Amino acid sequence: MKILIYPLLTFWLALSTAIAAPVASEILAASDAIRNPGKPFSVTVTLTEFQAGKQVDTSTLTSYSRPRGQGGNFASLVRFVLPQRDAGKLMLKSGNDLWFYDPASKATIRLSPQQRLLGQASNGDVVTVNFAKDYAATLETTEEIKDGERRTRLAHKLVLTAAVEGVTYPGIQMWVDAENNRPLKARFFAESSRLLKTVYYRRFQSQLGADRPTETVIIDGLNPQSVTIMRFSDYAARDIPLTWMQRDFLPRFQPD
Amino acid sequence: MSNERLASTCFVFALSCMAIASAHAQEAELDALNLESAPESATAAPPNSKLFFEGALGDVSQRFQSGHRNLGRLSVDLSYQKRLTSGVRAVFSDRLDHFDPALAGTDDTVNSLREAYVSWQADGGNLFLELGRINLRYGPSYGYNPTDFFRDGSLRVFTTADPIALRENRMGTVMIRGQHMWAGNAVSLALSPKLNNAVTADGWNVNLGATNNRDRAVLTFSTPFSKNASGQALLYKQGGQSTAVGFNATALLSDAATAHMEFTRSKEPGLVDRSLGARNASEPRNRVSAGITYTTLGKLSLTAEYQYNGFAPSRADWLALGGTPAAQLAYLSEALRMQELAVRQSYLIYVTQKSFFHKDVDLTTYLQTNSGDNSRLFWAELRRHWPNFDLSLQWQQNIGKANSEFGVLPDRRVVQVLGTYYH
Repeated sequence: MKILIYPLLTFWLALSTAIAAPVASEILAASDAIRNPGKPFSVTVTLTEFQAGKQVDTSTLTSYSRPRGQGGNFASLVRFVLPQRDAGKLMLKSGNDLWFYDPASKATIRLSPQQRLLGQASNGDVVTVNFAKDYAATLETTEEIKDGERRTRLAHKLVLTAAVEGVTYPGIQMWVDAENNRPLKARFFAESSRLLKTVYYRRFQSQLGADRPTETVIIDGLNPQSVTIMRFSDYAARDIPLTWMQRDFLPRFQPD
Repeated sequence: MSNERLASTCFVFALSCMAIASAHAQEAELDALNLESAPESATAAPPNSKLFFEGALGDVSQRFQSGHRNLGRLSVDLSYQKRLTSGVRAVFSDRLDHFDPALAGTDDTVNSLREAYVSWQADGGNLFLELGRINLRYGPSYGYNPTDFFRDGSLRVFTTADPIALRENRMGTVMIRGQHMWAGNAVSLALSPKLNNAVTADGWNVNLGATNNRDRAVLTFSTPFSKNASGQALLYKQGGQSTAVGFNATALLSDAATAHMEFTRSKEPGLVDRSLGARNASEPRNRVSAGITYTTLGKLSLTAEYQYNGFAPSRADWLALGGTPAAQLAYLSEALRMQELAVRQSYLIYVTQKSFFHKDVDLTTYLQTNSGDNSRLFWAELRRHWPNFDLSLQWQQNIGKANSEFGVLPDRRVVQVLGTYYH
């Protein structure tokens, strides 16, 4: 009898553990759904740069995003608002294409992901990205960490590896709140495994039907004294035509 | 101390250093969380207009005359667009330059009406119709744009040698243009009529003779032909010439590199004949430019570009033209007005370094090399940004033997300081 009971017990325990264990890809998808509304929207982004705790620069952008077809990632059109010298310039991210348009020179330039337009923040930081679409996730551990408000939270640590070509970061570690799947913190790595930046998600507020982070704190991987805070405000659901997300539309773009 | 003991002491020391560094990094991270974002700007709504004022003072060292001459300029630059109804918008863009001393052959005050047109958009946002003076620019290359068919005569004044900055000053062409977009593709047709024959030196004239001195039409088709590449095919026709074909493309090569190319084939007289008014037979030839841009994580961008103009004089023809420097200069001046590559083959190295030793300082520099006579144009700009003001120092050096492309130019060195205030 014992011969039968032990394997059955072991099987039942393994099965119940498997059922109860959170699936990394689902956690990541739930976390994405908190960071990004699942429908076309616009948001104002204020970037504030700090060096050694002192504010050294600020700029303002408006980002227009819409999902790229069924189950796809987002396409984003970013308009520079401030400083005045950059007002009206546009950046478009759609799939692997990254375009920069300057209305003064009428030039539409293809950018590589490494070309930065925004001080310390990378272009990938200001466009809308669903990690679950581009990365394979594994659950490494569940541990206590300090969140962006310096509170201790129990979080799932996910390890993300790029599943498609053309992503901004080859590797990411992401901590997601074990209680509610809120994104809390992420570390972004280069191909060489060098830490590029640490990001904290904070100031959760109700926006477009969910509690979403309205600030991200980006800390440079090489120089932690170099910090950029991105504040997201004026979330608005809006109809964004598909043509906005193609290169030929850029010279014609004029928002309401 | 034995080797083992020394090694183990070093190991413990290294571990301690790593632990201290890690603790410092964690501390710095937590400190960063005390920082607060700047308040939202009151002008977060995108502005409809852009206005800036620019002043320049400079010195030109001359090659064939002793002494120097001064440069002085004040400029006002305005761009404005307004939505008239839900599907109609008006666009206006103008630049006023005042020179002291005046440039040769122009008034001391020169107005460039760059754009003035109305644009109608169909409800679905896929169809557009535009009418007026439109600055229609094609081609991704940095220094030479063969597929930019409306570049000829579009610049009234040359305020810098930077080819990218120069594009900001150019006048549009009066035309009617329609465009249809679908699923990432676009087709457009632009028709530009002849409105005037004469280019005028009157600084306040809208100068339609410079931009609309012949009937022209261009048909373009744009498409992303792969996941990492896209391009445009063009057909261009102007009065008195057979149809030219063109193609341009850009591609993403890696996380750090992009490539661009332009190609046109047309049947025209040689550039020297056109410039000097000779009437020789037309021949079919090519124009090409192609390059690669590589960007480092340190914000350094390096572009290398090859340029070819089959209509420019061969090396032997150029040397023959060198027998009369006045003819050489007249040719170069006309090639510049047409924004044509004056020589058969040339190379461009264009470098930008953002945050050059300081967060708000940018360095831009380029070297244009004529491979036929080994003459070179070197240009560099150091630009410091403040929230509403830029201060920049520009240096241009024309290098080469007396009868070479850049050696024959009367200016050996141009140095100018510019201040730009953004309103």
